[in-house]
Amino acid sequence: MFLTRSEYDRGVNTFSPEGRLFQVEYAIEAIKLGSTTVGICTQEGVVLAVEKRVQSPLLESSSIEKIMEIDSHLGCAMSGLIADARTMIDHARVTSQNHAFTYDERIKVESVTQAVCDLALRFGESVHDEDAMMSRPFGVALLIAGVDEKGPQLFHTDPSGTFVRYDAKAVGSGSEAAQSELQDKWHKQMTLKEAHILTLRVLKQVMEEKLDHHNVQLAQVTKEKGFEILDEVRLKELIDDM
Amino acid sequence: MPDGSFAQQPQQRQFNPYTENGGTILAIAGADFTVIAGDTRQSEGYSIQTRYAPKVFRLTDRAVLAVNGFAADGNMFVKKVKQRLEWYRHAHAKDMPLRAIARLIQTMLYAQRFFPYYVYNILGGIEEDGSGAVYSFDPVGSYEREACRAAGAAQALVQPFLDNQIYFKNQMAAAGQSHPLHLPLSDVLAIVIDSFTSATERHIEVGDGLEMYVVLAKGRSSQGLDGLRGAQEISTTNDGDRVFVIRRELKKD
Amino acid sequence: MSIMQYNGGSVIAMVGKDCVAIASDLRLGVQSLSISANYQKIFPITDRIYVGLPGLGTDVTTLHEQFRYRVNMYTIKEEREIEPQTFAQLVSSTLYERRFGPYFIEPVVAGMQKLPTGGFAPFIAATDLIGCLNFAKDFVVAGTASEKLFGVAEGLWEPDLEAEDLFETISQTLLNAVDRDAFSGWGAVVHVITKDKVVTRTLKGRMD
Repeated sequence: MFLTRSEYDRGVNTFSPEGRLFQVEYAIEAIKLGSTTVGICTQEGVVLAVEKRVQSPLLESSSIEKIMEIDSHLGCAMSGLIADARTMIDHARVTSQNHAFTYDERIKVESVTQAVCDLALRFGESVHDEDAMMSRPFGVALLIAGVDEKGPQLFHTDPSGTFVRYDAKAVGSGSEAAQSELQDKWHKQMTLKEAHILTLRVLKQVMEEKLDHHNVQLAQVTKEKGFEILDEVRLKELIDDM
Repeated sequence: MPDGSFAQQPQQRQFNPYTENGGTILAIAGADFTVIAGDTRQSEGYSIQTRYAPKVFRLTDRAVLAVNGFAADGNMFVKKVKQRLEWYRHAHAKDMPLRAIARLIQTMLYAQRFFPYYVYNILGGIEEDGSGAVYSFDPVGSYEREACRAAGAAQALVQPFLDNQIYFKNQMAAAGQSHPLHLPLSDVLAIVIDSFTSATERHIEVGDGLEMYVVLAKGRSSQGLDGLRGAQEISTTNDGDRVFVIRRELKKD
Repeated sequence: MSIMQYNGGSVIAMVGKDCVAIASDLRLGVQSLSISANYQKIFPITDRIYVGLPGLGTDVTTLHEQFRYRVNMYTIKEEREIEPQTFAQLVSSTLYERRFGPYFIEPVVAGMQKLPTGGFAPFIAATDLIGCLNFAKDFVVAGTASEKLFGVAEGLWEPDLEAEDLFETISQTLLNAVDRDAFSGWGAVVHVITKDKVVTRTLKGRMD
């Protein structure tokens, strides 16, 4: 065991001699096991889509929740350890509400992303007298979608606390194939409807099961209506239009 | 006690952390500008501490804050607001909008609900939509957007005058016409100067100097300021909202 | 709360060109409860003198009666009408008689004073509740809205206003001042006095 990685992969607060934090890198690896998640940014708004892996016919697929609302103008899709994402989204929600309370305005997409990433790095050994904090890195990647004064935006965050803005981004197990497909098909003038179809097509390509309205979830954030998860009826229509 | 001893007598002492330092502030909003003004006298009781203590402060190129009441609290409060604006700039990469500053001031004041800043605040400037705006506050953070507001020692003298001259209260519009919603800048400046000369005449705590800040919306010409003696621009850019300051003497007796 | 604010009410007087004006609100209240919207507190003394008596309601009546009695005695003894200047002194001495148990009234006097040349000159005066006289050349104010009246009057008044302009000025001053005073308002009355006539107008005002 020592032979493969040396002892530096033990502590979350110890750099290896090559300057790496192995636990963070492992956390990033964990995401690659997660279900595929896609986000596309257009001038009309942002689309988020996730694959729901329905492992058993007895599983109630509607109880799988991988796209969540942060605020009326902010949404978030996740891949990796979903339980970890809840902590982060809780933090994002509190940050967003606090901003609205203190400044009487909607928080910017970048600001809420920054707040989440601040939290991502808050792991390690808690000091005496300090509130209990995360003992390991979060094992989840988020796609944060939103609309603010700068228009529709899509951000990607990973366990290292790095965030980058994307026009279109895929994460999770099928992300490599999905990302190259997005690179091929995305264009500036894309409509929201086109983005919906593209996310579904991309997911369909990388999914093992046959795509239907039970094993995908779609959401959008627009200037006009803010964040909304598309219901089964609209989802079915889109799948039929594919 | 006859023998000079007070040993057995309970004695009560009290420290009063507040003082009232006089002076008056005033703000009036136009369609695409706002004027925020204050006198510069600072007094304690019947003594004048200084003839030049500013009560009006530029916060950003679109926001000016006037603070009146207990001067120590006022100065500290302005300092803290400026600090919060700087933090916001770093966190969000933009200047805080006026209505956000207004809300921030409310939360900062209410945070001190049980040991308040003994100050009345008036915030003036330009909103995101380019309109002139005035926000007025009580010491614990109740606030409201208005077209005009006076506060401080001579509030009772100035406010009814503004009701009459800005809101046209008790005045009937000519047949078939209506009162203007906003006055031109030159008229507003004249009303501000009249208000302060009046307050100086009848209130002992008002006088010495007058500072008038004028905030112009982005793209608005300096019409109404051009003819004025000694209007000095203090904005950091000239392609956004702009801030000017005009200083005048008031009677010193 | 001070007894001076118990019933509420305000009076103002202004000098114009060959005219004077005196005006008051019409409210009578008991602290914050309004009782009457037609409570007169300005009274004619002669054809050319009016006195306004803002303050404690009971003393308004008492002082008015007192002044009536003393002015009548003056007229009978002197066999001539009292002049505004003299009446102001009478007001002052009447109040000072009660130096240590005063009437809670701050009277305002307005009138046209006869000159040795035969013409008339505008005259106004006000006193505090123990009779300290203030002969102002522009305007005098008294009552619960006095601070507000000072502020507006200082902004609106100018020298040598003609009777009609003086009426407008005093009316605007009074209405806008009492609208910011919880203890004054509920309508107003204005008297404009010139050498040969008095014009009395009742004004509508906010009833809140």
